[in-house]
Amino acid sequence: MIVNNLPALIVVVPLFGTYLTLMLGVKHRKSSSKIALVSTGLLVVFTGFLAAMVAKNGEVFYHFGGWNPPWGIEFVIDRISAFFLLIVSSIGFLIVVFGSGTLESEVKPKIIHYYYALFLVLIASLIAISASNDIFNIYVFLEISSVAAAALVAVQGNKLSIEASVKYLILSTLGSGAFLFAIANIYMVTGHLNLSFIASKLPEAFSLYPLNVLASLGLVLVGLTIKAALYPLHVWLPDAHGSAPTTSSAILSGLVVKVYIIVFIKIIFRVLPPEYLNKVPLEFSLLLMSTLGIFIGSILAMRQKDIKKMLAYSTVAQVGYIFLGIGLLTYNGLIGSLLHILNHAIMKSMLFLSAGIIIKLTGRRRVDSLNGIGRVYPLPMIAFSLGALSMVGIPPLNGFVSKWYLGLGALDGGQVFYVIVLLVSSFLNGLYYLPIVIRAFFGPDSGIQKPESLSVGVSLSLIILSVSTVFFGFFSSIPLEYLAPAVSALFGL
Amino acid sequence: MFDFVKLWDNSFYAMAIILFLIGFWVMLTHSNLIKKVIGMNIMETAIFLFFVAIGYVNQGSAPILGREGVTFVNPLPSALILTGIVVSVSITAFALALIIKLHSYYGTVDADEIAQLRRISDDSE
Repeated sequence: MIVNNLPALIVVVPLFGTYLTLMLGVKHRKSSSKIALVSTGLLVVFTGFLAAMVAKNGEVFYHFGGWNPPWGIEFVIDRISAFFLLIVSSIGFLIVVFGSGTLESEVKPKIIHYYYALFLVLIASLIAISASNDIFNIYVFLEISSVAAAALVAVQGNKLSIEASVKYLILSTLGSGAFLFAIANIYMVTGHLNLSFIASKLPEAFSLYPLNVLASLGLVLVGLTIKAALYPLHVWLPDAHGSAPTTSSAILSGLVVKVYIIVFIKIIFRVLPPEYLNKVPLEFSLLLMSTLGIFIGSILAMRQKDIKKMLAYSTVAQVGYIFLGIGLLTYNGLIGSLLHILNHAIMKSMLFLSAGIIIKLTGRRRVDSLNGIGRVYPLPMIAFSLGALSMVGIPPLNGFVSKWYLGLGALDGGQVFYVIVLLVSSFLNGLYYLPIVIRAFFGPDSGIQKPESLSVGVSLSLIILSVSTVFFGFFSSIPLEYLAPAVSALFGL
Repeated sequence: MFDFVKLWDNSFYAMAIILFLIGFWVMLTHSNLIKKVIGMNIMETAIFLFFVAIGYVNQGSAPILGREGVTFVNPLPSALILTGIVVSVSITAFALALIIKLHSYYGTVDADEIAQLRRISDDSE
């Protein structure tokens, strides 16, 4: 019975965890982190099982309440969404493991159970967005995720984070408004909300009402790129990710911006008929925006003095990479961007977590004040350096693999220019990441006398993340082979 | 020649798009955060109007089964928009709560003034 209902359970488990944290957290504050730990841990097991099931038997369909589509809500878990579900649950679990050791220092103990409740709601919404095949269902969870994410930014309640949260909330509402408008247009011309049914009706609708379909595509593009922070719609991201508590920054940068990209991939590749992809100016706008994003994100990251702000601007550049791979519209390009979703989730959450723990232990946030920290706190700084090197794309770390496939994708599309973009931007990444690493290990003494010890959760999550950075560099064939059939099906190969 | 009859037939959609643009304009050009929230609401209401108008059938009645010879309106868009309204209310409430907090810090709800105050405090550090 559990196996049949797994697609529903992966949403229900974190939601149930939310209720438990809220109910038990009032009396037993300590319990909330354990509940979060258990529910995300369960999620890892469930999503892992689902991913194996999808690999064995093909796509998993789930019809809520026994109502068949197009009437009921349908969850379809294919390889791409199973892949992303596994990323969400494992990174979410590691962030909770990390938070169990340090969260009290950043969030008031009185509201810690609210924090975990929001965190679990966010996880549930991310999972539902990537699993759902119903476009209105996706919209509802999109809104849940934007409220939860904005609340996770505002949770510290200081000036900066409240301001960032207002900005984030208003812009992401704009994004979901555009997305809802797109749904209205699509529903108007196709009469369906289920993505598979829309896909079957769209060719006819396109010939009858081309304007509506084009308008909805444009609105989907704008709505989802605001939420995924693709340049020039990234303005909310640096403030929000830079001023949030460590664990929030990690989940926002590592997972939340990616889920919108997954929705975008679903709509562009599964719904839109392939022969229409070339009729809309999608390729051009995506490539232009992502190239600008890669460069301007990196250049702005270089100018930042605050380490978390720097990491946030680097996310803008990395989102550019992912959209570049989509915009190339080639097999290897899409593989590259999906791999980059995995690799960036690992790298960026590791970078944010290690930067956060360094800020907590030393009180230093400025990029130029981290001299000699690596000798005092080796583990966080080694994790940070691994993440930084992987960002630059140094083999054999995982960041190299995804850039390699993005480059191959560009060559397949005959667009050598984007290979140069990748190379130059790797150089730019090196310019702002490497000085930190060099200063931390070879700089003058930090002046910190007796280092505090790291808690078990912090060390454990940083070690697992560092190991997986190296692991997915050497064994990139594991995600690659998992994704290959799904991606080749999307391109009709 | 511009087809006015067609425009009149689709006046719901035209109104919805005009409202959407008004809301969008208010949201992007006004620096007062309360006005931004109002603009956000106008924009969302416009989308709701657009969505509900899809289900409208001229002279249609409520879709209650068991009656012969009556045209029904499509109830699905209205049902969906109920969800949309709930979402929009909760986002408005949350945004206003955050703005109250900002007002208690800065004594203003104007985004430009807040940015200015922040710049002053950044310089003095």
